[in-house]
Amino acid sequence: MIVRIAYRTTMILALPALLFATWWIASDGSTAFYIPPLRVILEAFGDTWFGPRLVDDVLPSLARLGFGYLIALLIGVALGVAIGLRQSLRALLEPTLEFLRAIPPPVLVPILMLFAGIGDEMKILVIVSGCVWPVLLNTVEGVRAIDGVLLDTCRSYRIGGWLRMWHLVLRSASPQIVTGARQALSVGIILMVISEMFAASSGLGFTIVQFQRGFQIPEMWSGVLLLGLLGVLLSLIFRLVEHQVLAWYHGLRAVEKER
Amino acid sequence: MLTVTELNKVYDGHGRRVEAVGELTFTVEPGQFVCIVGPSGCGKTTLLRCIAGLLPPTAGEVWLAGQRVSGPPKGLAVVFQEYGRSLFPWLRVAANVELPLRAAGLSRAARRRQVAEALDAVGLADAHGAYPWQLSGGMQQRVAIARAIAYQPQVLLMDEPFAAVDAQTRADLEDLIRSVWQRFEMTMLFVTHDIDEAVYLGQRVITLSAAPTHIADDIEIDLPAERDQLTTRGAPRFTELRGQVYAQIQKAKLERQ
Repeated sequence: MIVRIAYRTTMILALPALLFATWWIASDGSTAFYIPPLRVILEAFGDTWFGPRLVDDVLPSLARLGFGYLIALLIGVALGVAIGLRQSLRALLEPTLEFLRAIPPPVLVPILMLFAGIGDEMKILVIVSGCVWPVLLNTVEGVRAIDGVLLDTCRSYRIGGWLRMWHLVLRSASPQIVTGARQALSVGIILMVISEMFAASSGLGFTIVQFQRGFQIPEMWSGVLLLGLLGVLLSLIFRLVEHQVLAWYHGLRAVEKER
Repeated sequence: MLTVTELNKVYDGHGRRVEAVGELTFTVEPGQFVCIVGPSGCGKTTLLRCIAGLLPPTAGEVWLAGQRVSGPPKGLAVVFQEYGRSLFPWLRVAANVELPLRAAGLSRAARRRQVAEALDAVGLADAHGAYPWQLSGGMQQRVAIARAIAYQPQVLLMDEPFAAVDAQTRADLEDLIRSVWQRFEMTMLFVTHDIDEAVYLGQRVITLSAAPTHIADDIEIDLPAERDQLTTRGAPRFTELRGQVYAQIQKAKLERQ
């Protein structure tokens, strides 16, 4: 058991450690202004982010991401269930949805600025407009794929209302909903940064652009590094949640593989 | 009492018209154990789905306890052949059995009591906390049977419930179903393609013809109520009845050709 954990930890950390070391050594003697040594970047990292900026820039960014992401999840799942359950609604909406999905969300930033200003509302709207699609479309697929025997079982036992919605529809679709939510998370992080690059007075994207304009190159690099680390952290949290929500699914899959 | 009168079902779609059930009329007395056998593809499942209210008949009526069946009726439970797909894989065994009781609005105490009693009756008293997919096929079908028992239906429909389990498990489950029927006193309608199984289990065997289905034969199984895999199946009367049903099925198959 301990050996296995040690082995897995080594496997997970080996490549990052190698890349880190390569970067460190290769950049150590660098005198190029735009490519400072990693040593310098890390110094800047501590000074830049573990201060007032944590509260002024990092937390507002994450809060907007969190709000936008949750709103997108709610809208995506609710609409996805409605569309997935009704053939007529699907036929009516599918072409429109395909069109809307094809619009890259960043181009909405200038438009949304006109209506929602440059405050938090605009940035949250941008995040919602991008995150909602993967959730919506995956939910539709998941709901459509509900097993016919399970449907008959619910009908013959007269299981209806919220019991049916939760135990049949949502739980059946949960593997696909989680897949959509995972895609939405990475879209959300991208849009969080982009929405702050256009017009903002706080946030990670805003700060990184400020550093670039002010020729604070190590600080700029450290911001990029921070974004990467945040991405890793968020995906770890996502995995923990998924592990809880889909424990049955992974167990079922493992059993099916054995047979 | 369950009454089927002049039931007819035609599948009509994509330019193809298939008459699955021709014309069926029969009555099942309360508490009776009736087996329905017929050649494969003769519309057994269609008949069962019509009785369960899952499929509207093209013509004819199904009546259950004085009510006309127009959708899944109260007091009727179905055990499907595909046990692996009829249990909720995200619910543990006890929760699977409990869900219909929650939908019926039973109190927590009543639910807990009925779930425990039902799981005990199928020999799964120690499997409450397992997920269905952690169990063998035979055990999964036991969970499905427990769910039906806990629901306390007047009529229990079974659609080839043991077709997908191995022979030994099958014999165990047959005896289980007999004991459940005797203990809980419900009306059983058991669809199968296995003649031996039908004769061994039933008080009465209805033999169906090939599609479009009508009743080929309807015989009383006058074997003693206490049945046993060895002595019952070895009894001369068993062989005789089995031969009678078999002859009807063969005749039905020939008629089709």
